[in-house]
Amino acid sequence: MDHSSRDYAADQAPAAPQPIQFRASGGEYFRIWIVNLLLSIVTLGIYSAWAKVRRNQYFYSSTELAGSSFEYHGNPIAILKGRIVALLLFGGYNLGLRYSPLVGGCMALLLAAVLPWLSWKSMQFRLYNTSYRGVRFGFKGSARQAYFYELLLPFLSLLTFGLLLPFTHQRLKQYQHSESRYGTSHFAFDGRVGSFYKAYGKFVALYFGGLIVLGAGLTYALWGSLSGPNGVAKSTAFYVITAVIYLWVFLVMPLFLTLIQNLIWNHTSLAGHRFQSTLSWGRSTFIVLSNLVGIAVTLGLYLPFAHVRWLKYRIEATALLPHGSLDDFVAGSEQQVGAVGEGMMDVLDFDLSL
Amino acid sequence: MSDAATPGDAPATPQASTVTAFYFDGKTSRRHRVRLSVDGDAATITGDVERGCPLAQLRVSERSVHATRKVSYPDGAYLEIADRAAFDALLDATGHRDGVVVRLQQSWRGALAAVAGTVAVLVLGYWFVLPPAASLLAHALPVAIERRLGDGVLELLDKHVFAPSQLPLARRQQLSTRFERLLPPYPGTPPHRILFRKSRIGPNAFALPSGDIVMTDEMVNLMQDDDALMGVLAHELGHLHERHLTRRIIQGSAVAASATLLFGDVSSVIAALPPLLLDLKYSRDAEREADDYAIAMLRYNGIAPEHLAEVFVRLDKIAGSMPAYLSSHPASRERIAHIRAAAR
Repeated sequence: MDHSSRDYAADQAPAAPQPIQFRASGGEYFRIWIVNLLLSIVTLGIYSAWAKVRRNQYFYSSTELAGSSFEYHGNPIAILKGRIVALLLFGGYNLGLRYSPLVGGCMALLLAAVLPWLSWKSMQFRLYNTSYRGVRFGFKGSARQAYFYELLLPFLSLLTFGLLLPFTHQRLKQYQHSESRYGTSHFAFDGRVGSFYKAYGKFVALYFGGLIVLGAGLTYALWGSLSGPNGVAKSTAFYVITAVIYLWVFLVMPLFLTLIQNLIWNHTSLAGHRFQSTLSWGRSTFIVLSNLVGIAVTLGLYLPFAHVRWLKYRIEATALLPHGSLDDFVAGSEQQVGAVGEGMMDVLDFDLSL
Repeated sequence: MSDAATPGDAPATPQASTVTAFYFDGKTSRRHRVRLSVDGDAATITGDVERGCPLAQLRVSERSVHATRKVSYPDGAYLEIADRAAFDALLDATGHRDGVVVRLQQSWRGALAAVAGTVAVLVLGYWFVLPPAASLLAHALPVAIERRLGDGVLELLDKHVFAPSQLPLARRQQLSTRFERLLPPYPGTPPHRILFRKSRIGPNAFALPSGDIVMTDEMVNLMQDDDALMGVLAHELGHLHERHLTRRIIQGSAVAASATLLFGDVSSVIAALPPLLLDLKYSRDAEREADDYAIAMLRYNGIAPEHLAEVFVRLDKIAGSMPAYLSSHPASRERIAHIRAAAR
């Protein structure tokens, strides 16, 4: 387990696939998490911005690619300001909704109008504050693109009852990945719309197919109890069916995640270097389910262990396929970004890491 | 500041005072192999790159067992430490001290103390801090705002749950008038209105934030005892007087926010469950307070509280009972005992 002195000599240009390594441990993160949690509660949430920086610094510095680790540079004061703005907006929305549907509706429209802009700013903040080998990542994009890909397209896919959803997802990833850069080099994304429809199709077929088979099978098997006069047997049968269906939902959700993460990273490249993601459905499902059980049984104390376990699996399933030396990236021009959007995404808990 | 005490070209046998590291200049991704040493109050690197810097301008990342440690220069360049043991020794030698938070994070004893502290803060907050704070806030809030919260609720219930009352108008007026003549036990009674409805939910009564107290026909028919009905109405007036609805909203929001802070990352289902269970205690506490108000009001007007106890005896015969911790109301047996004890 000890790796306190890394292989200092081996430093040739890497040619073989470079798996990303995640060295964080559940035990160490547990200690960081619980101390930060206590301080956040005692300070009524103010400290949570510092807690976020601590956590990210720990995770980023524990993530290693080709012998070098990542670094997080977020400024806690900026994050705190962002969170306050986000809380005011959401608090206003919730209070408005209670006060009158009209005020609530207006607040909802306001939120919808500012969210794409905030999400764009959040992306910029997150990438600008990430560095690898001393060179920062970045995100360009424009407000026009943000509104097109994060408001108009989702709205259209809503209008088409989700038929356009895979298309929207592909376009969004294409936009996000091609606007992301490392130093002055841009990422590129060549995942095709067809592949997204295929991934969504597989998931939907399995999800609903399973629901129909399970629902029909159980109803048939338990028909005696369901239609019988015994009230206890009836409600027991009903609970059994509900529980099995819930379990099925938890089983197939990780499938969607693995299909999408693999699809996205297998079609992402950076200046000739490619990525590879090899998540498996079985392992993902096992980790997600056992994590949920662990968290429930320990009343939440297992949470940080679960977090590290899940992150470790997802990160280490990804590898870089180098195309030449990793020494030649050049830092771009520096641009400081405010954290208002980041605070908003924290509150919304959007997972933009996909 | 580059009068380094350590020779840079002896890579095979690093001395105790030098630390192998990688240097990144912040301009390109090139990795430079260097050795770090400290002389007085300046740090020097030698090897692929030579650079000196005052210690005061360098920032050292927090101690960690698994994460790579870094030393940052003011211009964005940084060192990634390769030989961690030698780096720890060097830090000790320069008198570098970890912050309090880092020391807590790095010891299991500190972490266990933090677990105990967190549990204590959460439990004390839930039992002793939140209820009085919510009560203070609710009473400071103008009644008009609470009234707005209840707008539209009665219309919704009328549409889906209730039908117009089938009691004779005279009977309804008789009950309302009688209740209006009773004297409230405490000053500051909020404005209220008594309504009767026929319902699918059986014998029941409740207060809405709008100030409407609704009693079902089934309740009136079940009791056949006007003094008992006065007790039920007094209980509902107690909810209004104590601002229970606003208090529950405040307490519920605080509990939900804490649960989201704790479990929101994992699953929204897990985050939604604890607030539901925790809210039940607040609900039972509110029922007890309303019972106390009703007892006070009945006695103040010379009605025996036993009439109210009779309500719970009757209701208990109809409904099955649930375990206390899973119920939004205290067990009827407990409430009856409480009322009878207060009457003595």
